[in-house]
Amino acid sequence: MAKIKPADLDRIKAAHQDDGKDWIKVGMSTCGIAAGADKVYEAFVEEIKKRNLDIQIKKCGCQGMCYSEPSVEVRVKGMPDVIYGKVDKEGVMKILDKHVCGNALVKDAIYELRTKR
Amino acid sequence: MGQTIVFIKDTGLEGDRTKDFYAAFLNLLRENSLEEKAQVVRVADIGIYNQGLVVKFPEKDVTYVKVGEEDLKEVVAKTVKEGKVIDRLLFKEEPKQLRIVLRNCGEIDPENIDEYIAKDGYRALAKVLKDYKPADVIEELKKSGLRGRGGAGFPTWLKWKLTHETQDTQKYMICNADEGDPGAYMDRGVLEGDPHSVLEGLIIAGYTIGASQGYFYVRAEYPLAVERVEKALKQAYDYGFLGKNILGSNFSFDIDIRLGAGAFVCGEETALIASIEGRRGTPRPRPPYPSVKGLWDKPTAINNVETLANIAPIILKGGDWYSSIGTEKSKGTKVFALTGKVKNSGLVEVPMGITLREIVFDIGGGMLSDKGIKAIQTGGPSGGVIPKEYLDTPVDYENLQKLGSIMGSGGMIVMDEDDCMVDIAKFYLGFCVDESCGKCVPCRIGGYQMLSVLNKITESQGQIEDLDKLKRIALAMQKASLCALGQTAANPVISTIRYFEEEYRDHIVNKKCRSHKCKHLLNYNVIQDRCKRCRVCVINCPVNAISGDKEKGFFVDPKTCVRCGKCFEVCKFNAIAKE
Repeated sequence: MAKIKPADLDRIKAAHQDDGKDWIKVGMSTCGIAAGADKVYEAFVEEIKKRNLDIQIKKCGCQGMCYSEPSVEVRVKGMPDVIYGKVDKEGVMKILDKHVCGNALVKDAIYELRTKR
Repeated sequence: MGQTIVFIKDTGLEGDRTKDFYAAFLNLLRENSLEEKAQVVRVADIGIYNQGLVVKFPEKDVTYVKVGEEDLKEVVAKTVKEGKVIDRLLFKEEPKQLRIVLRNCGEIDPENIDEYIAKDGYRALAKVLKDYKPADVIEELKKSGLRGRGGAGFPTWLKWKLTHETQDTQKYMICNADEGDPGAYMDRGVLEGDPHSVLEGLIIAGYTIGASQGYFYVRAEYPLAVERVEKALKQAYDYGFLGKNILGSNFSFDIDIRLGAGAFVCGEETALIASIEGRRGTPRPRPPYPSVKGLWDKPTAINNVETLANIAPIILKGGDWYSSIGTEKSKGTKVFALTGKVKNSGLVEVPMGITLREIVFDIGGGMLSDKGIKAIQTGGPSGGVIPKEYLDTPVDYENLQKLGSIMGSGGMIVMDEDDCMVDIAKFYLGFCVDESCGKCVPCRIGGYQMLSVLNKITESQGQIEDLDKLKRIALAMQKASLCALGQTAANPVISTIRYFEEEYRDHIVNKKCRSHKCKHLLNYNVIQDRCKRCRVCVINCPVNAISGDKEKGFFVDPKTCVRCGKCFEVCKFNAIAKE
């Protein structure tokens, strides 16, 4: 890969700006993986492929909410961004059925994180 | 569509009534024929605690707290129906957490450098290489007031200045990621969640002190962190953030990874240097400090992961911005690994000066059990316990030290009435005895002797003179040990004696452990009134210590009993007393 110049930072930043697409992020640090995040991630990939959904699936680090791992953040247009905690395979189905396809948030599974960045 | 989303959660301490409120809310919506207009969602955790019923409108960013059943009607009539905000119920408190080090953790893909760049990553490096001389970076850091986050709190600018000023053709920059305190994992969180932020800080540090070679010293017990740092290094080389003439400047810098082989003492800087050099990881006397004579006898600066992750934001936003956060002598934020008997264990990043109570109850969500909080342990095996009377102390380096503990690297373990302070002291001291490298006598022998005394006390053989003996050995260790491991190993013992001497005396004089932790001081007995003579304890006792018959009742023979607690566990009628 070509070495980048300072000006390229702007170009890369612009290319990675939020494009308004829907996504699902799975926390994949040690704490998440220990609680089963890798299986949750696989389940999402498999189901999204099976249902042919137009949603990106991404990995990220630990939000710091180790008590609610595996945690999954979901962005769907028209809905607030939410973090679901203690997600298992059943939770994956619920998130896809309700939140992603049904415009309804899943009950008793949202964990709010109050923080400034 | 066009539904208003409503989050609802009961945060009261007297049982969770979220479901009742949820039903009431739905009823109200139905009565007002608004069920199409709002989507009510029960949430598992709303991030607010002990504030009664919380109702939140996430799209409007409106949060109501202490909502009574009567208030619900108003919420439906005004906020749901007309979109008006009810001032009286508003929750105006700012979030307690402020994320600088963890700014990207959980936000970006740690294995994709582009996502880091999209969050203004490597912009600080570009700025430094273009506009800053090393002295300018040091000046900015001095303004920021950043102090080392590894534990001791040495001013970062001074460390860099000393290394920068030492004249030599070769200098080294090291990132200390040998995090080993029991219950602490802040650095792992950062390395796994945002490795580039540490890498950028390390490169800027290398530029400032005039190093051409850097090392990541990561403990081998963190395989995922190692993997992500390796990937980050490779990507940084590909993009030209590492290697020759970084970003077109004259500055060239290389970084290698070195893995720690599992010795706690290698977190100590001189032992760490020995370990990188391929020698046995043991400390050496200082001075000379590493800034003068470090790795391969060359000037070396060593900074902790969290310290380095702070560098880029300081460069981008300025030292004045950073120093506006925190207390007079401790600036910025600190990441803590909040664990133990607290509801929300995890990583929290808070501005310095926040109180322990806020961390445990407002962020941590309070205690896990209905047992009250007894103490908080900070600083790992080099720290101490802070009893509940001091929960309102603002957290900073000086305050924690005054209380006989230390900030340390950021472990924070919450303890309740079930935790025996003698047992805690024994655990931490045992850890240090295990990890002592054995090079200096005070640490090697002093630690072992103190541990023997503690063992004696918990095994009902303690004498009242033992307390003085512990203090005497502790003093010798503090004064004469070679490195911080030995100097601080006695801290947990000293601080528990300072605040919980009563408990030690109970162990020694009354042969009692009030937390029922020290099994040699426990006695199991059958409570005859409750006993249904079912014989389950008799059958389950591994040493046949329970005898008797259905008429006379059953009895535990204290001489045979090994205090395994099996009878206590299996009795369905709570008829076994543990005291």
